[in-house]
Amino acid sequence: MEKIQYIGETLLPGQIGQLGVLLGFVGALLSMVAYWFATQRQETAEYESWRKIGRIAFLTHGVGIFAVIGSLLYAMTHQLYEYQYVQGHVSEELPMKFIFSALWEGQEGSFLLWMFWHIVLGFILLVKGKSWETSTLTVLAAIQAVLGSMILGVYFGFGDEASKIGSNPMLLLRQTIDAPIFAQADYVKLIKGNGLSPALQNYWMTIHPPTLFLGFASTSIPFAYAIAGLWTKRHTEWLKPALPWALFCGSILGTGILMGSAWAYEALNFGGYWAWDPVENTSLVPWLIIIAGVHTNLISKATGHSVRSSYIFYLLSFLLVVYSTFLTRSGVLGETSVHAFTGSGLGNQLIFFIAAFTLPSLFLMIWRWRQIPSPKTEEATTSKEFWMFIGTLILLFSAVLITGSTSLPVFNKIVQYFNPAYQGRVITEPVIHFNKYQLWIGVFIGYFSGFAQYLRFREHNWSKNAQRFAIHVGVALAIAGVLTYLSSLLIQLPTWQYVLLTFSGYFTIVSNLDYLINYLKGNLKAAGSVFAHLGFGLMLVGIMASGVNRKIISSNAFLMDGLIEGGDEEMSKKNISLFKNVPTLMQDYMVTYVKDTLVDFTRTYTVNYQRKNKAGKVIEDFNLYPTILYEKTFTKIATSNPDTRHYWTKDVFTHISALPEVEQNFELKKQREEELKYKPLELAQGRTVLLLDTLEVENRDTVFTRTFQISLESISRNPAHKDYKPEPGDLAFSTKLKIRRSDDDSVYYANPAILLRGQLIYTYPDQIDDLSSKFKISQEAIEKVFEFDNQLKYEDLNLRQGDVGNWQDLKIKFSGFNKNPEHPDYTRKEGDLAVGAMLDISAPDGKVYHAEPIFLIRDGQPLNVKVEVSELGLHLRFPLLDPGKETIQLMLAKSSAPSSIPIEVATDALPSNYIVLEAMEFPGINVFWLGTLLMMFGLGFSIWNRMSTRRTAEVAAA
Amino acid sequence: MKRIYLIAGVMVAIAIALLVNSAKDMSTYGSFADANTSSKKIKIAGKLAKNKPMVYDPVKDPNHFSFFIKDSEGEEHKVVLLKAKPQDFEMSEQIVVTGRMKDGVFVATDLLMKCPSKYKDEEIAIKSKQNG
Repeated sequence: MEKIQYIGETLLPGQIGQLGVLLGFVGALLSMVAYWFATQRQETAEYESWRKIGRIAFLTHGVGIFAVIGSLLYAMTHQLYEYQYVQGHVSEELPMKFIFSALWEGQEGSFLLWMFWHIVLGFILLVKGKSWETSTLTVLAAIQAVLGSMILGVYFGFGDEASKIGSNPMLLLRQTIDAPIFAQADYVKLIKGNGLSPALQNYWMTIHPPTLFLGFASTSIPFAYAIAGLWTKRHTEWLKPALPWALFCGSILGTGILMGSAWAYEALNFGGYWAWDPVENTSLVPWLIIIAGVHTNLISKATGHSVRSSYIFYLLSFLLVVYSTFLTRSGVLGETSVHAFTGSGLGNQLIFFIAAFTLPSLFLMIWRWRQIPSPKTEEATTSKEFWMFIGTLILLFSAVLITGSTSLPVFNKIVQYFNPAYQGRVITEPVIHFNKYQLWIGVFIGYFSGFAQYLRFREHNWSKNAQRFAIHVGVALAIAGVLTYLSSLLIQLPTWQYVLLTFSGYFTIVSNLDYLINYLKGNLKAAGSVFAHLGFGLMLVGIMASGVNRKIISSNAFLMDGLIEGGDEEMSKKNISLFKNVPTLMQDYMVTYVKDTLVDFTRTYTVNYQRKNKAGKVIEDFNLYPTILYEKTFTKIATSNPDTRHYWTKDVFTHISALPEVEQNFELKKQREEELKYKPLELAQGRTVLLLDTLEVENRDTVFTRTFQISLESISRNPAHKDYKPEPGDLAFSTKLKIRRSDDDSVYYANPAILLRGQLIYTYPDQIDDLSSKFKISQEAIEKVFEFDNQLKYEDLNLRQGDVGNWQDLKIKFSGFNKNPEHPDYTRKEGDLAVGAMLDISAPDGKVYHAEPIFLIRDGQPLNVKVEVSELGLHLRFPLLDPGKETIQLMLAKSSAPSSIPIEVATDALPSNYIVLEAMEFPGINVFWLGTLLMMFGLGFSIWNRMSTRRTAEVAAA
Repeated sequence: MKRIYLIAGVMVAIAIALLVNSAKDMSTYGSFADANTSSKKIKIAGKLAKNKPMVYDPVKDPNHFSFFIKDSEGEEHKVVLLKAKPQDFEMSEQIVVTGRMKDGVFVATDLLMKCPSKYKDEEIAIKSKQNG
């Protein structure tokens, strides 16, 4: 093929980006090697120079990756669609504020985001790591090298098959796909971008991924410390610097996960904040493990026990992040997740990623196992460390169960590899399955984090502590019991397991508060753990209230997933159809679909909720505004966004689950509109016309007929139609039609309108959904109502300035001249002499209309511009001006009332005036959010506390 | 033997027991023939039979969507989903329904579908004349 000289491509950002990709990869490798040698030669003279190379290489790596991000962002903000990544994620319509969302929407972008955070965290280690710098950065550089390989995009051949390493975000579109358009040298001018999926165009997409990826990236640091500790045999020293990092990770990763669930709750429509989706699960598991690690780390620091566990947990947490990356990006999950995954072609590379870090970790762990200090003395069952350790085992237990179930597709793949006939297994009902087991985790963690607070590390003198312990635990249990009972009056605790869970939540809350007041004596410095555990207790109670007691108000069933066998079929019916302006009773609420407005691609529905008390007084009255976002073509709904009314005690959540077909697809609506079978009718005022309508019955040979009685009530020259916006100069009218159908007792009214604007006729049909019929005014009606000028019989009227003249039943006042008259039909020309006569016309009903006919002399010729007072059917001309007598001559004519109006009726219109709504009440959901936030705050508080004590210690030492 | 190892051992044993027990919650994708013989909920994976009627009339019942799918054994059967009709249903490549047979109709309480990914189609959008 001939080589084409392409025009209009901007190649520089791509070249810089490609260089950055290479620099990033090579820099990471070099940094890893140099830091490795520096660590191995700690005591020698070579150390300094190796470390220097390591640092320079790591910084070079950083510069490389930043250059990739920078050039990619440049290409995206400048809409350089010749780049594949830009074309896939940006479009002209994409607002600039979503450019970052578009950056990390794709696979390559999210790897870049991950690496970005590693560079930031790595830089902190480089500056502050001291004796840990070389060993931890060896590990981090190794991780960066593997991640860097994910965006390399190099092909190399193994036999016949070319393998691809990584997917490069800086490739040109024409390098990635083959399309006929690339035969044109100026193709760049012709293409446009796909843009960011409308469902992702919200602020959650801006804040959730960076937080989550910072959380993922921060699991690497405790991991790096653990490897460094094993490697350099400093088995106890590493625990101290690793702890704040693990706390940081716990707090950020936790916040990232929470943002995901808040996003799901606020902006997506599955109606809840947690769905046990594989993507959620695989980000939760590393968090559980890092939290377990924090606890064993604390034990190790306080007692010297559990060092091995701390190693294992910190190693595992990062490895599980890598595993999660594999699960969510390799396509192995298939149809088990609602998140759309497509195989990225990186599957093998991701398996390598897992192996590259799991095997060395395992190897190091086994190799050093016997060296790791482990006290001979056993933990006393009355000591804090004992129960904390059991707690971490429960967290591990939870992680194992979640990972096991989530990995089912992987298990299937492995078995199928050996036995192709094997049929893969799936969890029939994932939510029920996970809830059933995880409930117990909640129960145990709840109890432990309550009473373990009262216990002491290295308990030697239990007998002294025992009594106080017993009193405090006893009182806390009693208060928790009372609170559980009180709660059972407010919310349902459907089974004894749930009673235990609620009780356990309250027990943690009470005992932690008690511990804060009576043990810590309000000393907030040590209160991080109290806050976190208090938060956990609140979270349990919040889940009980908002999750288990989630109430579907758009149906009449309580939704208690899986608690009643067979009842779930009734419970899955969650939707209600709401017809416009028809108040519908939904549980306690009277709900009305009031209106909808379309702005750009977003259609906002106003749904009114009203609740009355027994006396009939309205005690709650609010509107919710769920929206529908259309695709650019208006042929599909891109996403449906819920709206929620927040109260202190509950949330009322509403989203639109379906729309009439014609409202989902405007093409279809137009097509249906054209397909409607309109029948013409001639309607005279005061006479009723009959229309016979035949209806074919599905699958039967019979037809069934019914009669429409239609009469013309009135004609209005002041049309009010929802789609018609009056403009000056419009000629428009509407007809009021009275309709009855033989099989329906009600009387209906339709108000179709028609408009002549300039040369164009617009018809505004009116639909009566209850009769599935549509009415419009025929175009010929225009002529009948607005007669042509030559058919009008004008009469003269002479007026002086200030005069009031009578014409027919109208009073016409001539108040003066306008030297600068304006009229849509009149455009001023050089040399025109034009005046308008300012007239106030009073109708018999007292209404006053203003009109300004124009008289002008153009090129010596007298001319006039007619005006029409359409409401009165009055035509006015101003043909003569007598300057001597100061009188004007007017010509007036009135349209005669038309004898009949032709209209058209279609009886096969599709109903379009309803929405299908799903509404839920989440009682006490704020308790859940408060609890989770308190947990994260507690973790953050602990870091701050540790950092400040360390600083004080450093100052004291100096 | 340390007490703590004992406890850990017991917990591992329970974990294994639970994981084994949880196999009860799992099943292979079934067929309509299986659904006919079982009263338990099963999952059926299949393809939408596009030539058969698909009925969703929210005016009558917003929680009733009926369609036909062809299961892995090639049997076409009517399914009633007790939910609103999902977006892009016609475009689905594969459908998984969870439910049970009732009076000759498969009544589903849950539906998952796999749609072709939005960015998978390697079509390059061409600017229309007005914009160009």
